[in-house]
Amino acid sequence: MIYAGIDAGSRAIKAVLFDPDGQRLLAAGLTDQGVEQERLATDLFEKLCQDAGLARSQIAGVIATGYGRNALRFADTTITEITCHARGVHQLLPATRTIIEIGGQDSKVISLEDGGRVRDFAMNDRCAAGTGRFLEMIATRLDMNWETLSALASQSTHPAIISNMCVVFAETEIIGLLASGQPLPDVVAGVQNAIATRVAAMAGRHVSPPVSFTGGVALQPGMARALEQVLNCPVSVVPQPQFTGALGAAVLASERRKGKV
Amino acid sequence: MTTAPQKISLAQWDDRYEQLCRNGMREPAYGGPLRRHVVRDLDFRLEQLQFDNSAAALRLWNFLLTENARLHQARANGDQLVGTMKDLGTVPVMAYALPGLRAFYPDGAWWTPCLMENSDQLLQQADAMGIDASFCPVRAMLPAFENGEHFPKPDLLICSTGAVCDDFSAIAQRLEHLGHPIHWWEMPRRRTPTASEKACTLAGQLVAPRMQVDCVQDELQLIAQALGELAGKTLDDAALSAGIRAANQVRRLLGSLRQLVYSAPAAPLPALEMLVAEMLAIHFCSDREETIAVLTSLLTEARARVRLNESVLAADAVRIFWVNPVADLRAMNLLEELGGRICGTDYMFTHALDLISEELPPLEALARTALADPMVGPTADRALRIARECQAGGAEAVVVSRIPGASHCAREGEIIREIVRQQIGVPVIELEIPPVCDALLPALGSRLQALIETVRARRPR
Repeated sequence: MIYAGIDAGSRAIKAVLFDPDGQRLLAAGLTDQGVEQERLATDLFEKLCQDAGLARSQIAGVIATGYGRNALRFADTTITEITCHARGVHQLLPATRTIIEIGGQDSKVISLEDGGRVRDFAMNDRCAAGTGRFLEMIATRLDMNWETLSALASQSTHPAIISNMCVVFAETEIIGLLASGQPLPDVVAGVQNAIATRVAAMAGRHVSPPVSFTGGVALQPGMARALEQVLNCPVSVVPQPQFTGALGAAVLASERRKGKV
Repeated sequence: MTTAPQKISLAQWDDRYEQLCRNGMREPAYGGPLRRHVVRDLDFRLEQLQFDNSAAALRLWNFLLTENARLHQARANGDQLVGTMKDLGTVPVMAYALPGLRAFYPDGAWWTPCLMENSDQLLQQADAMGIDASFCPVRAMLPAFENGEHFPKPDLLICSTGAVCDDFSAIAQRLEHLGHPIHWWEMPRRRTPTASEKACTLAGQLVAPRMQVDCVQDELQLIAQALGELAGKTLDDAALSAGIRAANQVRRLLGSLRQLVYSAPAAPLPALEMLVAEMLAIHFCSDREETIAVLTSLLTEARARVRLNESVLAADAVRIFWVNPVADLRAMNLLEELGGRICGTDYMFTHALDLISEELPPLEALARTALADPMVGPTADRALRIARECQAGGAEAVVVSRIPGASHCAREGEIIREIVRQQIGVPVIELEIPPVCDALLPALGSRLQALIETVRARRPR
């Protein structure tokens, strides 16, 4: 039997199909988030099934996660992102003890115990400074796409210091830095460092290694390095980090069917 | 009443009220249907809440929601009103020890924006007075003092300062500058005695130097004089001792209620009603005798439900220890909707729940109580008490709720999390809950749901 996980995030909807017998990811896809969340998720899910050559009836269970999870009525049940990311990361990197997940509108630090069980977690509150929104803001301000931004950051030699922890005020600060002639790569790297600092503050003093980094922002080269610097320990980027939540949801769907959870 | 316990909406309370009346329910003078508080006082938030369906809960809500009206009535009857601010539980014991004095808690206006869903404009008016959203919602009391539309202006205002919340000191200073004279009293920051200092034990397994107890006692002596002048009668040791015994009666009742409800295998009363009941400890909701009656009624109801093994929640609800009161009452419903229940609390006034010594000289006993205030000492002291109570109450997780703008301790959540994790190893999360949290409900719900999932996954299979 095949299981599906749908992660309806703030910026994108991600979906995966998982085969528990072979412990394989059969298919993964994503689409931009929009007003009609359920239609977008349904279309994505159906396309994924079609591409994998599967009929809907062959999907034994669907779990939705992410902030828009409750809008997906076709899912069998919903589980929060915390539980799904934890399960997804444990599936891929089972030694992980700390997960850092940075998404479009929130960030999380999840502590795991043996067996991948969640020990504790912390999430950002109403502030966007530790989230992908910060990077989006600077991409918009510089009229660049996500990939160009990443490439720029890797060229930095002396990252700028962004002192403001508020995205709105930081934007003003960034405009000032650019106006003063600060090299663009250094400004972008400075933003990455500011995000990393914010997330590290949320993690508190006890971050147990191994640390794994997931969520869409983990695709940004340089972010893992910025986190390593502030956390003072190695940080591994989870393979296909944008799909970890959806994968966790699919794995949990298969385990529920088998009565493991 | 025989109807099975359940949580019901305001609309359902309309029918329930009729049913209770038909069954012969006897109400106090402030009784009546809950709906009238929406119609008359514009307490719109009640329409979004779920309430316990017992007559005891109805009495509790009516007691809470008629406080301003009862205060106006008391003034009309010739009582002198004492506004007791910030100390959360000590000065009211003194005020109620004198006949004709009635203490209330103007800071309680911080719930008004929630109850009236901001239709009162109190927070916006506080902005205009220079006390903006960077301050605690207690700032709602400033315009409430000015417009007189809520509580009556007190005859005497007493406020502690020093090692208390910075926000509150700033707000109270602004109040005084607006023409409301305040009798200030100094609260030292509680510290551990040095080796050469004489130590005094306080409630909650705390200690303080003798000189700090003496200092607070001197301050309380001045308050006793001020209260005596207002009442036209000396507040002597005999009257004070009687006041302490009456306050302890309230505290014993609350202690029994908390113990019963929080330790019962299935919660006999909801978290929301328990929050309101605990708040009665601060100033007896302006009527000490009625507080005893309200709590007795709740305790009787809870005992009956426990005896019959009846509950308002599922038996496997996740046991949560809750730290700090919420600015939006809706949050307490939300916790239970998502599968949680309260098994212990620290709403920032644990010193008002602890019994006051009846053996010590009364002013000294009160000084020791005031110094045990969790807000006047290191947060680590508070965290250790929370950890002990979590362990005793079988807490599976801790929620530290934050009040936007409140500055009791900027790092209190982190300190509590560290110590609780270290001592008992249960998950701890922090939540920020504004006065009306509707826009944040999905995010709050996600965090609470994640906590509940985490606890359930940790339970032995």
